Amino acid sequence: MAEVSFHKEIESLRLGDDQTFYGEGILAVTKALLQSGVAYVGGYQGAPVSHLLDVLVQSEDLLSELGIHLETCTNEAAAAAMLGASINYPLRGAVTWKSIVGTNVAADALSNLASPGVIGGALIVVGEDYGEGASVIQERTHAFAVKSSLWLIDPRPDLPTLVRSVEKGFELSEASNTPVMLELRIRACHMFGSFVAKDNAAAPFSTKNRLGPARFHYDRLAHPPATFRQETDKVGRRLPAAQRFILENKFNERLGPAAGDIGIIVQGGLFNVLNGRLALAGLSDAFGAVALPTLVLNVVHPLVPEEIAGFCAGKRAVLVIEEGAPDFIEQAVGQILRKADLNTRLHGKDVLPMAGEYTPYVVAKALAAFFGQHGRAAPALEDWIAGVDKRRTDVDKMLGAPLPARPPSFCTGCPERPVFSAMKLLRQEMGPVHVSADIGCHSFATFAPFSQGNSILGYGMSLASAAAISSSQTNRPISVMGDGGFWHNGLITGVAGAVFNNDDSVLIIMNNGYSSATGQQDILSSKKEPQGRGKGLDIETVLKGVGVPWIKRVRTYGVAEVMSTLREAMRTKDKGLKVIIADGECQLARQRRIRPEMARKVAAGERVVRTRFWVDPEVCTGDHSCIRLSGCPSLTLEPNEDPLRTDPVAHVNNDCVGCGLCGEVAHAAQLCPSFAQIDIIRNPTRWDRLKLAISTRLIRLFGGGTARLPLPALVPAE
Amino acid sequence: MAEARPIRLLIAALGGEGGGVLASWLHAAAIAAGHFVQGTSIPGVAQRTGATTYYLELVPGAGARHGDSAVRPVLALNAAPGEVDVMVASELLESTRAVQAGYVSPDRTILIASKARIFTVDEKVAMGDGRLDEKRMLAIANRFARRAIIADFAAIAAEAKSPLNAVLLGAIAASGGLPIPADIFRAAIRAEGKAVEANLRGFEAGFDRGSDPLRTPSPAGSDVEARGLTPSSRKGSDPLDAFPAEAREVLATAIERLTDYQDRAYAWRYLARVNRFVGMPGADATFIRELARHLAVRMSVEDVIRVAQLKLRAARLERVTREAQASAGDIVDVTEYMKPGPEEVLGLLPPRLGRWALGRVAARGWSSWSWPLKICTTRLSGFLRLRMLAALRRWRPRTLRFAEEEAWVERWLAIVERTLTADAAAAREVVATAALVRGYADTYKRGLANWTRIMGEVVEPMLAGRLPRAHFADAVLQARLAATKDPEGEALAGTISAIRRTGTPGKLAAE
Repeated sequence: MAEVSFHKEIESLRLGDDQTFYGEGILAVTKALLQSGVAYVGGYQGAPVSHLLDVLVQSEDLLSELGIHLETCTNEAAAAAMLGASINYPLRGAVTWKSIVGTNVAADALSNLASPGVIGGALIVVGEDYGEGASVIQERTHAFAVKSSLWLIDPRPDLPTLVRSVEKGFELSEASNTPVMLELRIRACHMFGSFVAKDNAAAPFSTKNRLGPARFHYDRLAHPPATFRQETDKVGRRLPAAQRFILENKFNERLGPAAGDIGIIVQGGLFNVLNGRLALAGLSDAFGAVALPTLVLNVVHPLVPEEIAGFCAGKRAVLVIEEGAPDFIEQAVGQILRKADLNTRLHGKDVLPMAGEYTPYVVAKALAAFFGQHGRAAPALEDWIAGVDKRRTDVDKMLGAPLPARPPSFCTGCPERPVFSAMKLLRQEMGPVHVSADIGCHSFATFAPFSQGNSILGYGMSLASAAAISSSQTNRPISVMGDGGFWHNGLITGVAGAVFNNDDSVLIIMNNGYSSATGQQDILSSKKEPQGRGKGLDIETVLKGVGVPWIKRVRTYGVAEVMSTLREAMRTKDKGLKVIIADGECQLARQRRIRPEMARKVAAGERVVRTRFWVDPEVCTGDHSCIRLSGCPSLTLEPNEDPLRTDPVAHVNNDCVGCGLCGEVAHAAQLCPSFAQIDIIRNPTRWDRLKLAISTRLIRLFGGGTARLPLPALVPAE
Repeated sequence: MAEARPIRLLIAALGGEGGGVLASWLHAAAIAAGHFVQGTSIPGVAQRTGATTYYLELVPGAGARHGDSAVRPVLALNAAPGEVDVMVASELLESTRAVQAGYVSPDRTILIASKARIFTVDEKVAMGDGRLDEKRMLAIANRFARRAIIADFAAIAAEAKSPLNAVLLGAIAASGGLPIPADIFRAAIRAEGKAVEANLRGFEAGFDRGSDPLRTPSPAGSDVEARGLTPSSRKGSDPLDAFPAEAREVLATAIERLTDYQDRAYAWRYLARVNRFVGMPGADATFIRELARHLAVRMSVEDVIRVAQLKLRAARLERVTREAQASAGDIVDVTEYMKPGPEEVLGLLPPRLGRWALGRVAARGWSSWSWPLKICTTRLSGFLRLRMLAALRRWRPRTLRFAEEEAWVERWLAIVERTLTADAAAAREVVATAALVRGYADTYKRGLANWTRIMGEVVEPMLAGRLPRAHFADAVLQARLAATKDPEGEALAGTISAIRRTGTPGKLAAE
């Protein structure tokens, strides 16, 4: 059960010849897979490519009509290994994941896939998580393409181009017996646009039309001595075949006039940024009619030397616009120029920054410098840059101080937040502790107000990364891992290793029931709900199965209980791994489930109790300790009504879902008596009303209550 | 060459505000109006409360190109500074961030910004007031936009009982920044088919507001400045005439508060304390007002008796009912979370007995013991328990806590008095240090410890001439700011050591 329902998107996957598809980039790619006759699709979820799998998971009917096998893989290594089907069989297959991290995880299988090569087209759709909005280390997928001899498509962000890249990508893969990667940056994945669709194509062999096992053929194995022959084949046959295919199919685009003394070579994915700045300089327009010779590389690996040399010949200088480091393309272009004995001046990272996203501003500065060095004045660019700089300086002057950042944080009522409140409180008690953090929503605990976590080594890696720390610190290190990370690889990489080595370490597993950060996809331990795909596997049983000696379960919202369990784990004389399973369902998923249910009950006149919390503004003294221990979005500030005080008071807004954390923290930390729990009984029963009427009358008898609120009737009229 | 220049719209929103749906309405409307449109987004990590952006470009009249594979517009996926025609920000700080990034320019941009604040964690965790200056942000919005449409769109949405994104869509439609008639937007909402009534209601509310940018409504709660010191009841004549006019409002409020807190005599004691300073050199009207304000807060310290008293206020239930949006016929129960520790409980004893008992508790290592209570004040048993506690009001002057508070107040006033004779500006700062001592349990202890430290290591040595007095006022100010920097006290330790080393606090805690 993913976060969103894709009803409309699924409809658009069924469009046929000459119908216009409207939707986001990653869905266009999904549609292109269907148009290309894929036999199998798989992958591991992660922004920005999650929707590819999420949509297909909800498209069961369509997949079975086309005979497509869909696999939501345990991790990216499994997804890459799945492409092994195309080594021996004429099956087209596609997998997807978030890169660079997913490609790292997949690396072993990728190498072993690339060596024998494929006979069925194999496409890897990677979400290049780079630049603004990225959530992972900043590295390039390009490196993997280079070292494993995989071809890398970086298409111009335009839906017809994306779709063509997928279709041609399969052909390229088959023509050169090589798996192909298609990289899409974040904005391209989420790009809304249009293209003219084609009918979906059923694969010749599929779940509907099965084929027999392959003959034994040693050269299909990534095993010596075949590996030596495969290495030669990669460079001797497959590479030239790929280069020929790229040229013949005009995969790369030559735009602008044929002649000119300077030119630009650009990664396809960056063309639109370049075009915008050229348009500003009067050298292009909104239709990409560039007035400068431009080579758009929709395939960034391999390059085709004759294409590059042909473009550069007769030019004084070329500028290579290539985002990120190292400058693979620029180096390759330099080598091509040298070998072709061309003395075209090569620009790239000399006018562009070595690292970081190439935004319009960055590209404009590079163009201005490039044009300047070659005697082309570009006053419009220069003026624009100066104007942007001036306005920024003016705003900064008016502001006086930097603006606070707004990083993502735990949702209102998140079950993980209380665990970090407990850890923060325990830190005050026990002193600092090494916290080994992981990938997942829980990594938001590295931001204020929790600010805890000493390292992040990758998805499911927290416990493994604490292995050498447990024996060299006085306090045991605490590793935090989500259930998503646990199933991705934490069980083997972390838990099995720690058990085997008797690591004296503490692990907290956030058991929220889904792979939440990527959009609440089901995992093995998810519940088997009506639409759920989970298997309801109990993590505790699994831990016992691998021999974890010390396991405790806590309900995350009980801060005092989490604290005492954690204290026990930190202090117990028992050596070896201590695991705390912190149970609490992802609140986003929970709210999506219970809100409609509550609304239905209220409408039907059934008794429903809604709980939320409240801060008494007269009792709050405005110190905000509660916020420093919670950080809940619904726990916020309000101006102080008291004319004698100035600091804002804490305030719970109506987004509160009544998880009770603020009250628990106020108790656990002995903060202040400002918090109150408010229970609103909707459609109260006669008995509810009678009890209230009696209680209220007695309270009045003792001088309480108010005449302004009507006294509830003892015998309510129905 | 071009059929037309692309029109560009950038939306800065927060995760969970429905920015994705807003973008899809805009796409659908642009297509229906015959334009070529392309959009994209940076939805933020996991869509959870962080900053998100949605960007859209459209080429007017080029709608036919959607079904064309040959000649297509090449539109940007990144907004470029200075080239945004309509900038929408769902929150005030995010509008400032957009201006800072250069997306709002005086020659081009219509800025539609919500005045509503969703505070960042940095602002919320401050130990005092960490909020950004709203006026400055509004000034920036107005200065850099070609036209600024600024309203509390969140309040408008709440009033219309509609999602915020629909209200913003209405404002976009009304701004005239996009060549799309309002009816096409309405049709897009209907075509989307989800919560159509509520969304249309929001659209109309936003449309009204967006069409009338000159109207400046001030929704309740937005005028922080106006709140200031304006209590409703100002009792005329009498003893207050002896005090500077500027301080009388505070004094009146304080007298009322302290009479309620203890009794009339206690309020008179307060007045006499303030009166000690009237007429002293350097004690101008502002000084008296601030002294009176801090003194009133300190003299009405929230001990358990006061907390019980406040929690029994009948007006509270009305307020809770209103804030929780309970409907008529609902039953609202209020359960108080309280957890008094040894200081709170034993502080009710007479000083000598209380001190002895606390000593025993400390000796036995029970100091961190406390008593978690959840008391339902809307039901009889809970009500009675708090009622009994509140009834201890008459006993209060005999309690340990009261004695300690009185001693503190006298010490503070004495230091203020001595500082006043030495350096009026510094005295003002010593007055302000009173705000450090507040809260409950650890917060209270930490504040008191910080205050004691500042007095002992900065103020007293300067008064005694053991430290140079050239930067007396600045030193006290910086120490006070440093004390509210971090709960661990690192900033304060740094500032104090700088003062002791050089006689000046440097710029450590200046911001």
